[in-house]
Amino acid sequence: MTQAEIKLCSLLLQEHFGEIVEKIGVHLIRTGSQSLRVIAHDTGTSLDQVKKALCVLVQHNLVSYQVHKRGVVEYEAQCSRVLRMLRYPRYIYTTKTLYSDTGELIVEELLLNGKLTMSAVVKKVADRLTETMEDGKTMDYAEVSNTFVRLADTHFVQRCPSVPTTENSDPGPPPPAPTLVINEKDMYLVPKLSLIGKGKRRRSSDEDAAGEPKAKRPKYTTDNKEPIPDDGIYWQANLDRFHQHFRDQAIVSAVANRMDQTSSEIVRTMLRMSEITTSSSAPFTQPLSSNEIFRSLPVGYNISKQVLDQYLTLLADDPLEFVGKSGDSGGGMYVINLHKALASLATATLESVVQERFGSRCARIFRLVLQKKHIEQKQVEDFAMIPAKEAKDMLYKMLSENFMSLQEIPKTPDHAPSRTFYLYTVTILSAARMLLHRCYKSIANLIERRQFETKENKRLLEKSQRVEAIIASMQATGAEEAQLQEIEEMITAPERQQLETLKRNVNKLDASEIQVDETIFLLESYIECTMKRQ
Amino acid sequence: MASRGGGRGRGRGQLTFNVEAVGIGKGDALPPPTLQPSPLFPPLEFRPVPLPSGEEGEYVLALKQELRGAMRQLPYFIRPAVPKRDWRRLPRELKIRVRKLQKERITILLPKRPPKTTEDKEETIQKLETLEKKEEEVTSEEDEEKEGEEEKEEEEEEEYDEEEHEEETDYIMSYFDNGEDFGGDSDDNMDEAIY
Repeated sequence: MTQAEIKLCSLLLQEHFGEIVEKIGVHLIRTGSQSLRVIAHDTGTSLDQVKKALCVLVQHNLVSYQVHKRGVVEYEAQCSRVLRMLRYPRYIYTTKTLYSDTGELIVEELLLNGKLTMSAVVKKVADRLTETMEDGKTMDYAEVSNTFVRLADTHFVQRCPSVPTTENSDPGPPPPAPTLVINEKDMYLVPKLSLIGKGKRRRSSDEDAAGEPKAKRPKYTTDNKEPIPDDGIYWQANLDRFHQHFRDQAIVSAVANRMDQTSSEIVRTMLRMSEITTSSSAPFTQPLSSNEIFRSLPVGYNISKQVLDQYLTLLADDPLEFVGKSGDSGGGMYVINLHKALASLATATLESVVQERFGSRCARIFRLVLQKKHIEQKQVEDFAMIPAKEAKDMLYKMLSENFMSLQEIPKTPDHAPSRTFYLYTVTILSAARMLLHRCYKSIANLIERRQFETKENKRLLEKSQRVEAIIASMQATGAEEAQLQEIEEMITAPERQQLETLKRNVNKLDASEIQVDETIFLLESYIECTMKRQ
Repeated sequence: MASRGGGRGRGRGQLTFNVEAVGIGKGDALPPPTLQPSPLFPPLEFRPVPLPSGEEGEYVLALKQELRGAMRQLPYFIRPAVPKRDWRRLPRELKIRVRKLQKERITILLPKRPPKTTEDKEETIQKLETLEKKEEEVTSEEDEEKEGEEEKEEEEEEEYDEEEHEEETDYIMSYFDNGEDFGGDSDDNMDEAIY
């Protein structure tokens, strides 16, 4: 784990779970897998606090545990999973676009609580939806369950590994930590529950039995006296499926930008058809025949078969090679080259970064070197048609920022510089890694700056919150306009200005974080698929 | 040695490679030497591209800020515990509810008894003290329920001590509170500004 990643993890954990969890989490990320006592000793925190922190981390799938020999349980942190916390808003928004508010809230509850049983999710979501509805209306559990089932069918939520059901003939003492197993078939199997009820609208919500640790039984302090039917079956959000969806979205929008709307629709159809059949790490989708694609096109698109064939041929001939032709049966078998598509997207990201950072001439040189693979300095000046001095300057700038690298080819065994060829080259993988590292640093900087800004204006923020609370309570008890006016004037005009500026800055920083996270997603997907291939 | 001296005499700045290839022509001044590290915030040549705005961008932004705030309120957000105070210096009444384990609780609701001279004096004094405290606690509990107010310190002490001694649940006892003391819970220096 690089320093930048560790720093970012530390900031994220601290913001979402507090300092104690952050200390334990970062310690685990730094040192690898350790046991409970060692963690407590090394970090200098009391055993109780370490236990609590580890419970929270395990609950949220950020730390996994393993029983080693002699009964010692060792905990290991998943750094990449911690970094996913940046992407939570995007997951939730995606679910909203696909499954509307109900789906959005289901995924939000699952992400906020780590793991939940289906009944707990349904109840919470129904309560939340009921609160937003008009008076008198309530949300039925059945509707929420239906959305949940749909999410499970499309693999957006999955079951967590569960405690294996051992027979009672096992005489020995229970192991210190359960080894959880999950059957591939059962991962998306929704238990048959008859959840009957309606959401309750209550101010002081009685949230019972939410997100308990796996090994313990749920405790009830309020209504439910009977045990829940799906005890022990916990669900979590399936992040890989979301990533697959994001990848598909990126490919479709790339095709739309490069060609037109119709071709992007065709690609979208092809991807949709191969959603469940192709695993997320496959290099290309299963071959689809042109007839199948024609039948599966969305209803609104009535293009004739010939036009579809023309589009497919056009897509297959495109130098970007998003779509490839793999055979001629069934009117032509077409595949989508996922890895090539990801590589193109990563390359486009790099080009765009070079262009925005160094200018369009640099971008031209960058694209030239990409195209020619290895090129000498003199040739760069000729091909790019840029004056020598400027070209040299740009090349060296990009070289110093590690977008490019030099390949030496000596003419003589003594590697004399005057008798060596120096060729410029761009290795996409290493440039992507460098850029990814920079992205992590950027987000860490953005978070720090946001925290700094908030801290600077803490007094003002508290004051404005108090004033708002006063106004709200006065409005509730029915106050006159003049009194409200008076209270509002407690915040002077320059202070209001300051608050406005602060709000704008914080929004900008937050939006930037979201934007950088999108780049991180593309680069990480590309690096992951390239590493798998090798 | 000889060649180096000779090099100095022959011509200045003789390097091992062809200097013209790098771009410094004959007679051109060398670029100024770098005497300090590059500035921390170098001036930007090109302005960054504007952030995406529009409905989707704003919704995701609002969602992000909401999530941040929501996660602070969940029980998973562990606040650092209150430091131990030196009880010898403070009035006894401020120390609240050292709740012992379940077993001992059954014995507490006994009325005060005169100390038994047959038993060890220390033991009885200790027992008396715990009984006193329990009585205090019971009465003060009743008081609190009547008043409905709780001092912040007491609340935190309760949290802290209960956490130490009640090993049954994984949750701090205030998790099961019914919202009576909402808003007055902790006075830690947490960032209250959730935008």
